[in-house]
Amino acid sequence: MSVVDMAARGVLDRLLSRRIIFVTGKGGTGKSTIAAALALLASQSGKRVLGIDVDAKGDLSRLLGAEPAGFKPRLVQPNVSALAMRPEESLQEYLAVYFKVPRFTRLTPLARVFDFVATGVPGTKEMLIIAKIAYEERRSESGRSAWDIIIVDAAASGHVLPQLRAARSMMELTRGGIIRSQAEWVDRTLSDPRRTLLVICALPEEMPVVEAIELHDRANQEAHIGLGACFLNCIFPVAVTAHQSSLLENLVERHEQAAQARLGGPVQPLLDGVRLARRLHEESDRHARTLRRRLSVPVVEIPRQVAATPGLAMTRAVANALARAAS
Amino acid sequence: MSVGTPYEVDLVEELARHDVIVCCGAGGVGKTTVSAALGMAIAAARPSRVLVLTIDPARRLATALGLKTIGTQPVVIAPEQLRLTGLEPRGEMAAAMLDMKSEWDRLIDRYAPNSQIRNRILASPFYKGISEAFIGSHEYMALEALYRFHSSGEYDCIVVDTPPSRGALDFLEAPTRITDFVGVRLLAWLAGPARVGWRALNFTAAPFLRLADRLLGGDVLQELGAFVRDIETLYGGVQQRAEAVSRLLRSRNTAFAVVTTLEAAPFAESVFFCTKLREYSMPLRAVVVNRVLPDVLRDRGAVRAATTLIEDPGIASWMEDELGQPVDAETPHRLGEAFLALNEVAEANSAQMTRLARFGRIPIARLPLADRDVSDLEALGHLARWLQGRPG
Repeated sequence: MSVVDMAARGVLDRLLSRRIIFVTGKGGTGKSTIAAALALLASQSGKRVLGIDVDAKGDLSRLLGAEPAGFKPRLVQPNVSALAMRPEESLQEYLAVYFKVPRFTRLTPLARVFDFVATGVPGTKEMLIIAKIAYEERRSESGRSAWDIIIVDAAASGHVLPQLRAARSMMELTRGGIIRSQAEWVDRTLSDPRRTLLVICALPEEMPVVEAIELHDRANQEAHIGLGACFLNCIFPVAVTAHQSSLLENLVERHEQAAQARLGGPVQPLLDGVRLARRLHEESDRHARTLRRRLSVPVVEIPRQVAATPGLAMTRAVANALARAAS
Repeated sequence: MSVGTPYEVDLVEELARHDVIVCCGAGGVGKTTVSAALGMAIAAARPSRVLVLTIDPARRLATALGLKTIGTQPVVIAPEQLRLTGLEPRGEMAAAMLDMKSEWDRLIDRYAPNSQIRNRILASPFYKGISEAFIGSHEYMALEALYRFHSSGEYDCIVVDTPPSRGALDFLEAPTRITDFVGVRLLAWLAGPARVGWRALNFTAAPFLRLADRLLGGDVLQELGAFVRDIETLYGGVQQRAEAVSRLLRSRNTAFAVVTTLEAAPFAESVFFCTKLREYSMPLRAVVVNRVLPDVLRDRGAVRAATTLIEDPGIASWMEDELGQPVDAETPHRLGEAFLALNEVAEANSAQMTRLARFGRIPIARLPLADRDVSDLEALGHLARWLQGRPG
């Protein structure tokens, strides 16, 4: 019902033809839902999809209708697997793959040490997260890539840039050797916009829009990553013009009794609702215009979905809305 | 906006008896705004000195509160300013914005056994990473600031706006985590000069350290070891403090207020948060439901009227006759759709309210969806009156 934005056309195909999509945004903007919806849409076009939950809260799996996933990818929907990021396990896997170190069966006392090292040495955790994503991108199974596309439910906007920058930082710290060459490979994967794109989620509210713009600008300047789109989530979908609203106003003011009889219900609440709808739609519109003016990428508007609980049904609804707006 | 629902309680009366009110909830629900409004309402209702401790307010809200620059110095909001919002302040209100970096510095300063160690820690390249990246550190530093202001005795009531947590646990576990964090004896011992301990842990530790040497370079590990030994000297002090902070959170004089909207995702997180508070024996005293849609949207008669607008093909021409001006066929349809779209959201939101019942008799306050972004004192004052149960 909202005006179709031509710039949003084809965004979905462009995103789904990449190898890795990072989805970020301020908390509460629905980035996990949008990541889950993108994963569903990719799988519907026949791709083998891996969804990665970087915050490891299990949201991504739940939104795909499954129990929270672990570090090992698990099938959660036809053609969609999910994994939850754990830097400690990423380290173990890394050591096992590249240094043939048997996985520590019980790392418990050392896990805390690791935690400290990883927190104290800038970029360690970020690098382990990003390296795992790049590792999955390159991993093959029976002679072909394990995944056609990886959708990353990335850290919230404040934390995503250090992650995306991790490989660069690592390259600055190391001059040679295995880590250096691995960091270079990871960086090549992330900084190639034909392979990797970042999408930013926002809501039609002041703070999320401000944060989306800040993130967009900083990503362009600092992160060496291509930007794919901005998803403006939860817009109010029905546009009522000032004229349409004034017709109802006149009706209520001058012919309230007649209108109530003809329509079969009180008209004052109707008018209150229409006024609120107009305000909400105008706000959505104003925020969409701000984003279009300030961002270099298409802004895809996704109507608000009505659901009691976040889950597969809501993800499907968002996927459908997303496909309508950005196909 | 007229909202027909009776407010359940005077939340301010409920909460104002406490020294500390911790506002928590999912990101994006208006926690900062509610905290500020709550502080104003308490300052209006009681002759109390109220402090609102906020983390990262939206710029316009910060300006509204008079917080122009980041700093931990509380700024008093003048009574005449509060009066302009329609409140009759009996107490005094101040606001302060938390600065994580200076909270960390303060902590190091307080617990370092001597200035040498303090300076070494503050100058260490690892210090920056730790003070920024350590999970739970924002949460703990908010608690530190709370404890500091609370012990100062300068305020009767402190309203804390918590950081946008990645989950309830980060906040509730912050005191334990910080204690664990500065108590990493193991690493100090492993990386320490007295390498006698190595043999005992040979099975697991030796390969780990050899690897760490290969990956990070021996110097990095040694420097880190030295840093850890310095950090470790804080242990006793931090542990005691963290315990005191924990006690403060569980105290009878502390109240937790969960702030939420009725949107599916933040609401689910808030319900989870309430459950966790119970589990951790933290005193959940109130739920503030923000941005509630007006009840008229659920009026059944109005739904009938809206449906007629959409479904009855003769409506447009009837409207033309009544109004004496042209009405196109699209108009009634669009008007009905607009109402029904909001009705659907209002119904879903209202169904959520019943899910709060399982937490027993907790006072619930509902704040109406504001007419615009709440970004000035007047709008805050309006919300404050709603919290008092005296809207309008």
